[in-house]
Amino acid sequence: MAKATGQALGVKVKPSGNRQVQQVADRYLYWLRASRLETHRLSYWWANRMLTSPRPFQEKMTLFWHGHFATSEEKVRDYRKLYVQNNVLRQHANGKFRPLMVAVAKDPAMLAFLDAAANLKGAPNENFAREIMELFTMGVGNYSEQDIREAARAFTGWNYTDLKFVINPEQHDDGLKTVLQKTGNFNGEQVIDILLAQPVTAEFLAGKLYRYFVREDLSPLYQQQLGKLLRKSDYDMGVLMETVFLSKDFYSEASVATRIKPPVELLISTYKKMGLKTVPGLPDFNQQSEMLGQKLFYPPNVAGWAQGRSWITPGLLLARGNVIYDTVYPPIDFVAPDRVPNGLYQITSVADQLAQGQDITTATKPVGKSMGEMSMSNQGDRDEDFNTRLASYNAWRKAIENVKPIDRSPAKLRLSDMLRQAKCKTTHEAVAYLIKRFVSVKVDAGVQAQIADMLSQDLGTSDLAAADSYMEDALRNTLHVILSLPAYQLG
Amino acid sequence: MGAALPLGQNAFAADNRRILVVVELTGANDGFNTLVPYADDAYYRLRPKIGIRANKLRKIDDQYGFNPGMAGFERLFKEGQMAVVHGCGYDNPSYSHFTSAAYWHTGVPNGGESYGWLGRLADTIDPQLTPNFLVNIDERQSLSVQAARHVPVVFDDPERFGRKGLYQSRPLIDKDLSNNAPSSNASQKFLEDVAQSARQASEQVRAAWQSYKTPVDYGILPMDLPKVAAMIEAKLPTRIYQTAYRHNAFDTHVQQVELHQRLLTYVSDGVSGFMQDMKRIGRDKDVTVMVYSEFGRRAAENTSLGTDHGTANHVYLVGHALNGGHYGQAPSLTTLNNEGNVLHTVDFRRVYATVMQEWMGANSQSLLNGKFEPLSVFAA
Repeated sequence: MAKATGQALGVKVKPSGNRQVQQVADRYLYWLRASRLETHRLSYWWANRMLTSPRPFQEKMTLFWHGHFATSEEKVRDYRKLYVQNNVLRQHANGKFRPLMVAVAKDPAMLAFLDAAANLKGAPNENFAREIMELFTMGVGNYSEQDIREAARAFTGWNYTDLKFVINPEQHDDGLKTVLQKTGNFNGEQVIDILLAQPVTAEFLAGKLYRYFVREDLSPLYQQQLGKLLRKSDYDMGVLMETVFLSKDFYSEASVATRIKPPVELLISTYKKMGLKTVPGLPDFNQQSEMLGQKLFYPPNVAGWAQGRSWITPGLLLARGNVIYDTVYPPIDFVAPDRVPNGLYQITSVADQLAQGQDITTATKPVGKSMGEMSMSNQGDRDEDFNTRLASYNAWRKAIENVKPIDRSPAKLRLSDMLRQAKCKTTHEAVAYLIKRFVSVKVDAGVQAQIADMLSQDLGTSDLAAADSYMEDALRNTLHVILSLPAYQLG
Repeated sequence: MGAALPLGQNAFAADNRRILVVVELTGANDGFNTLVPYADDAYYRLRPKIGIRANKLRKIDDQYGFNPGMAGFERLFKEGQMAVVHGCGYDNPSYSHFTSAAYWHTGVPNGGESYGWLGRLADTIDPQLTPNFLVNIDERQSLSVQAARHVPVVFDDPERFGRKGLYQSRPLIDKDLSNNAPSSNASQKFLEDVAQSARQASEQVRAAWQSYKTPVDYGILPMDLPKVAAMIEAKLPTRIYQTAYRHNAFDTHVQQVELHQRLLTYVSDGVSGFMQDMKRIGRDKDVTVMVYSEFGRRAAENTSLGTDHGTANHVYLVGHALNGGHYGQAPSLTTLNNEGNVLHTVDFRRVYATVMQEWMGANSQSLLNGKFEPLSVFAA
């Protein structure tokens, strides 16, 4: 296409010579690389906001909606759209569902994610219509395939230009549609209203919010009651959550400290309890949360993150402890993932070979482990429109130049100060204080005593004052042990 | 065993030695250049530059030949240890790796489902929740093993599958540090169970790996199959393994010929090495390997000597207990959809039904939420 028009992505095609559209390929891959790096910065921005916001519940709800309206950079490939969506989710997080649903339906990131551009009059794409019924409002099993096809027609022509929502009137099908027994020349917003009029929608949303914030076990009767309440309040999530949080049920034994913290919440609440003012840059927040199964802006699929017990596997539970270890003892061999390319496209090898004066074909030849094939690489410079490996290298180089690096300061942990301020005198008091500060579940006295004994042995005394000048490392070890308790995952 | 014995569904259901090893070729393997339909002129018309000439192929019959790098697969097929299922796909195909992989992982195309097909399978055939029953070797957990009740054992490097912690803390973190007081908190109980299983699994996996030595040559890049072999040799009760050729390696959009052949050599050597290793330890009749990708590639080559995202693809089933040969119907290379892709002929859930029902002894209809007719791969 670029060759035919003479330019693409704002770059002109070289008038003659080899690799005439190389610059276009460079620009394209640069954008992908830069968007990925910017998305990682965006998640740092959000994580810091979660840590320091005076309205932490709003951030928790925003995270809930991020999973509900799961949208991934993996497909959207534009961090700006994800930033716009994040603000939309936050703006409506504790408000009413209708404006939230309408805003999401018109959100460029969502439109890109669910293939709006392919949803055209005469050739509707059912992706969005299916997800809005199945995942966003009613839940599976409450509508027919015919309802999806009809609803898809109502959303035809909904699209975006860069960061703006647009309706393309020629592509919109304004004929009669029948959705859930209602017939009319519906547009998208009217279909949303039909969906919200279904009692099952309120029950679906109320149930999902309850399971997320309280516990997985919810009786059908209570779910119906919550659904009714939500519908009566015109889908006001603030009203619903206030009722839930003030209910007897919320303070019952079945609810208190039975919820498994989602990974991001675990990390942020840990930093908060550690008294950190910023999210540590070392280890990397995105790598850590990904290792635990929840990387912001990269939900695993359209259904979002499975919640509750699915957060925990043997490997993941060990990883939850290891993340704490790496936070209290930052690794000294850390390599910033936004500075050094991983092995995926062998970019480093391309860079090295170019620096040694290799021609582009030779320098970009895939490097295998098989020595037998090396002899085949002695070919002259290949005639081609562009070279993807060269473009990958150029893209990386430009991304390194243009994308701001993430601050790699480790956690400013001052456990000695914390315990001095808490006026802890003995190792037993220190352990009791740390457990109370960090763990929501009661910890057995015998276990507490064992941990305190370990600390005493480590310090050579049970008297904190005597160890005051050197106790930081031993306290960090103690904290790692406490936060490795299985019970630490609850709250 | 094998095809000679009457292996009805009940015989399988009763046998709890059977193991399923899934190998996912991420990035979408080019099936047309893996098992080449060399007798079909349309193939060479679609792929004038990257099409592999008939005289270079490892022919297995008068229609098909394996990629020149795939000596292992050629041998497995000729020995009757490989079933090739042609044309596997689903309606309204997605061309996103991410989306289509999720469809395969859940066994629910064009839908949202929280649990994976292997996770649901484990929950059904092992209601007693045997520790280490379901294993996933990868950097992170695959959606395919996500289960409502089972705790999949997920690890990457067996050496690193363990808890970090300083010397003085080991006695505490390596043994039961949980609340000894009777707890009415079900979540806490669950966490303690997982912690217990993590301690057990990580010790067993590390021990299995440390004691594993094999004379078998798995080739240059054996994926995670030697780790699977180590666990089988160490007699772990695992019956379902999910592994992958990682990092979208098969996404061969440009200059694919040599690279693709190299990748296929690794897979072919790895899988055939694994089967030899199973024979060495006497478990070759108990293991079925399933090799698949999230979709295939475009029928025609692109202008960069590579191939773009496609639809239907082969699934390869490998094992001693199956009836080798061709299954399903190869999609036509002349009837293509608007994007130039072949039309699938076998819903991939029929392959799932085959391994779930005929190999692992589960009722596939309830697991797949619909009736998908098993292929006669394991029939007597």
